[in-house]
Amino acid sequence: MAAKDKSTPGAVGHFGVDSIKVIGDQLAISNITDDASRLLAEDVTYRVKCILQDSLKFAMHSKRRTVNTSDIDFALKNKNIEPLFGFCNSDHSPFRFASGGGRELYFNEEKEIDLSEVLTASTTPKLPQDVALKVHWLSIDGIQPSIPENPPPLSRDQQREESVDPAMALKKASQLKPNQQQKLQQKKKKQMEMVRVKQFATHELSVEQQLYYKEITEACVGSDEGRRSEALQSLTYDPGLHQMLPRLCTFISEGVKVNVVQNNLALLIYLMRMVKALLDNHNLYLEKYLHELIPTVLTCIVSKQLCNRPDVDNHWTLRDFASRLLSQICKNFNTTTNNVQTRVTQLLSQSLDKDRLPMASYYGAVSGLCELGTEVQRTFLLKRLKAIGERIRVYFETSNLSTADKSAAEHIKQLLLKVLPQCLKVSPTLNVHNVMTILNSN
Amino acid sequence: MSDLGEDILSDLQPTRPHQPSDDTSSAAPDPQSTTGSAVVATDGVTLEQSSVAFDKHTVLAVLQFLQRNDLQKTVTQLRKEPKLVSLLSDEEVRQLEANSHESGGASNGANESHLNDVLKTYKSDENPDIYEDNYNTLRKFIESSLDSYRHELLRLLYPVFVHMYLELVVNGHEERAKQLMAKFGPQQEFYYEEDVKKLSVVTKTEHLCANNDIIDSFRTQHKLYTLRLSRDSYNYLKRFLQEKSKPNTQIFQNIIHEYLILDVYEGLTRTKGQVEAVAGGMLGEAKRDANKTKVFYGLFKEPELKIDITDIELDETAGGEGGDGTAAEKPKKKSKKKDSSQAKKARTDPNAPPFTRIPLPELRDAEQKDRVRARNDSSKALKLGPEVLPSICFYTLLNAQQNHEMAALCADVSEDSTLLAAGFSDSLVRVWSLSANRLKTMKPVSELELIDKEVDDVLYRMMDDKSTFDSKVLAAHSGPVYAVSFSPSRDLLLSCSEDSTIRLWSLLTWTNVCCYKGHCFPVWDVKFSPHGYYFASASHDRTARLWATDQYNPLRLFAGHISDVDCVQFHPNSNYIATGSTDRSVRLWDVLNGQCVRYMTGHKGTVFALAFENSGRYLVSGGADKRILFWDLMFGYLVAELCGHYDPIYSLSFSRGLEGTMLASGGTDDCIVLWDVLSLLEEIEAEDVSANQSPAVKNNSEQFLLGSYRTKSTYILSTHFTRRNLLLGIGIFH
Repeated sequence: MAAKDKSTPGAVGHFGVDSIKVIGDQLAISNITDDASRLLAEDVTYRVKCILQDSLKFAMHSKRRTVNTSDIDFALKNKNIEPLFGFCNSDHSPFRFASGGGRELYFNEEKEIDLSEVLTASTTPKLPQDVALKVHWLSIDGIQPSIPENPPPLSRDQQREESVDPAMALKKASQLKPNQQQKLQQKKKKQMEMVRVKQFATHELSVEQQLYYKEITEACVGSDEGRRSEALQSLTYDPGLHQMLPRLCTFISEGVKVNVVQNNLALLIYLMRMVKALLDNHNLYLEKYLHELIPTVLTCIVSKQLCNRPDVDNHWTLRDFASRLLSQICKNFNTTTNNVQTRVTQLLSQSLDKDRLPMASYYGAVSGLCELGTEVQRTFLLKRLKAIGERIRVYFETSNLSTADKSAAEHIKQLLLKVLPQCLKVSPTLNVHNVMTILNSN
Repeated sequence: MSDLGEDILSDLQPTRPHQPSDDTSSAAPDPQSTTGSAVVATDGVTLEQSSVAFDKHTVLAVLQFLQRNDLQKTVTQLRKEPKLVSLLSDEEVRQLEANSHESGGASNGANESHLNDVLKTYKSDENPDIYEDNYNTLRKFIESSLDSYRHELLRLLYPVFVHMYLELVVNGHEERAKQLMAKFGPQQEFYYEEDVKKLSVVTKTEHLCANNDIIDSFRTQHKLYTLRLSRDSYNYLKRFLQEKSKPNTQIFQNIIHEYLILDVYEGLTRTKGQVEAVAGGMLGEAKRDANKTKVFYGLFKEPELKIDITDIELDETAGGEGGDGTAAEKPKKKSKKKDSSQAKKARTDPNAPPFTRIPLPELRDAEQKDRVRARNDSSKALKLGPEVLPSICFYTLLNAQQNHEMAALCADVSEDSTLLAAGFSDSLVRVWSLSANRLKTMKPVSELELIDKEVDDVLYRMMDDKSTFDSKVLAAHSGPVYAVSFSPSRDLLLSCSEDSTIRLWSLLTWTNVCCYKGHCFPVWDVKFSPHGYYFASASHDRTARLWATDQYNPLRLFAGHISDVDCVQFHPNSNYIATGSTDRSVRLWDVLNGQCVRYMTGHKGTVFALAFENSGRYLVSGGADKRILFWDLMFGYLVAELCGHYDPIYSLSFSRGLEGTMLASGGTDDCIVLWDVLSLLEEIEAEDVSANQSPAVKNNSEQFLLGSYRTKSTYILSTHFTRRNLLLGIGIFH
């Protein structure tokens, strides 16, 4: 129970007269005069401050920046006062505020625990884990290895700064090793007099990184599923990938270009899984490489042919997966300056308006739009629902068309039936009946 | 008996800062005798332990002491002890009482007398309204003075401000005091901020008797606050003070005359940088003659090892433990060579104390073997330099976060880097083995008796091979463990705790073998001497103490710091102890006579870590002000200041080898930083140093920073260089 008086301005951190009275009431001393409680309040403030100052020392020696309840207990013990037992919240104490009857109160909410419930509970709470010792290399010969135990060599913010101003990297290097830098500069000076060297950040990979790149790319597109999942795991959690990122993105985009032409569905799926892994890695600053990633992902969504036998092979899953990636990209990287989402939606919706668009691409565009959320679905799909309906109706009614296109139409129908009802639930203003008839008529 | 101890403690508490230090520090340390001479009880605990063999003299001395300090409750309690009644004759007791009555009137409770002192010295009938104007006059004078004088004179403002404030409080002008605080408190230098805050709490006369280190330090009858002024600035100030006609000067005139020590030196006035570098102490700077005593900072020649090197190598290959057996032939030659060069160097060191200056324990066979092994290792050590950076191996303690019930608070690695100990907030100490050898326990007595004591590997045979452990838990403390320290022979471990005890653990039996009670407040730090046997502790009770493992009582009591002593460190030659304190000063104490031989100011916050450079001449300290300071012990000068941390520094360690070339520092900013000490020292030694002129403080930290290694949100508790210069870091994830 703690009470503070905020009525007098400037009295922050002081006990108020009211608080003393409240505390007095609790102790069944109701007739404290104003003068007495003022004196008491001042004295209590003084003493509490002294104790807090002492408890700070205990926090400092516990290598903590915040004072917690045990520190106050020790400070009290130091002053030969009985510690306040029972307050052992190691995190901050959530004081709740309540007001009423012109009084403002802060109190610590205490939940009542039913002991019988605890005793009869079928699952006993987990035992706290024992202290354990874990070893890793923080640095090897002065260089910090990029392993998950170490912080990423370059945080996302730093990567962003670097992408904005490549000269940053040079500056940083000079800050880190001033000694060597000075020597280098002295050597360079003679050459510098004549030629004005343009600053550029190097992107050389160390031998280990080159090996890693080779291993990763081979594993990702290889045939061994176990190695692939390991490689993807590494791409998802490794903190030190930023130097390899340009290479990896190029690998992915080139791979997609080649494999779309060759209709190699499996490889395209593997490449998309790499994209997924990179998107999930929180240590990377991907903004710089979106111009490579978005076209590759879009290709996998709307390409007219992704496999050798479009009537049999399940290229729909790839399109769906790529659509989800696209929506993830839009969600993560959309800003007012790059307008990723707007541009992507525009592209997809415009392609829907083309008459000669192959049915497979048509499916891709619809699925891409479906993944982008109800707002997009409502504005871009519902508006075109009639057109879409007419377009696919043809394939159900005429029999001499290719089976591939027919299955595409079937897939579009299934997709719309799955997605649109939810969209309609959110926006009841639309003519539900109308839409449903269109859908059902197919 | 135990309630007697508590009684004394409670009786003593108000007077704690003024404990007599002379009694203990006069007794010479004597490792041979275990009985201990009549060290007078500075607190009750000593009585408890010696209760078995009370001799008459001791009891009388204790009674006298108690009566002199007016601890009546304890006296009556003590009298009731049955053993005492038989010891003392009635006559003696009566005589004692008579004595006490004579002197009793003078000290009617130390508490009250303290308050009276403060009240008496501050009583003044000045008009409370003129204080602000007075302060303003002084400030204007200083700010308008010439640049060359201004920086030295600016140091006047803080002590004058504090004294003015206390004067107002003592004379009951609460409102005026608050106004003065509100107006000028925030103007004080940033490093006084904490003190000012502490002071601002005190607004009434009654508050003055409380145990506040700021007020204690400004207790005026001691005249403690010291300012160093050049002759020129002093004259300038004097002229100003002598202009009697000016209004609004009387208050600070009085303060400067009465309460401040102005230490005038000849020569050039110091520059702004020089003045600011050494500012920050709670009591101002060191007096010029405070650091005049000669300090034997050199390293003496270690006694020749009486053991044949080949023996050990045979041992190693036979036992298959400790280091790798591959280094058989080559290192032998090398180590011998190095041996001789070391010996030469040591012999010619004129600054080394005589080996017998303080009695040091003789090395046992096992320790000698270990020394040889260490020498072998050091010959194979990596020669570090700016181009050769060490590898860092980091040990993270998991499930020991700070908000956890068992948060790790401290850690230490044994000298040979095979053991790791950590102290926890749930009052446990845990020990891990860092080598492939698991921890073993000694065999039970019945089995020990069967072992032939003449066998060479008797130590190995003593241990029980069947039950081995990865880690061991040591429990006995009743409060958070703030520091742990391995003995150089690594069969003993010390820990100190909030429960104000220091405990000694045997790492053979894994039991608590001794509990040292003496400090009456939490013990912040404890360190074994590099030669073993002695250890030092630092406590909240504002003292540091020197102990020997085989004695219950402290051998020396180092009193002088005016706030908590937060860290302690032994000089490599064991003749000196350095302490760092919340009063933002670093002191060096002579173990031989308990004197403070160096008093060094310059830190702007609490000092949490200390380390001696391997040659013994330089001391480094780090703390809450996020800076690392280098001190030259020859004259006690601040020679360099390294900034690179963003949070308090809790750990400092030098690389191995005679020329400690690298310093590793760590703290709560999740960073281990490496510093190039070799070039720093070269630069320092290039300047010639004299006793009169303090050197310019090097503060181009960037130049000496070799690398900064971030951990993934892991506080660094401790850093340690192995014998081969691999750096170990220990931390807790948060």
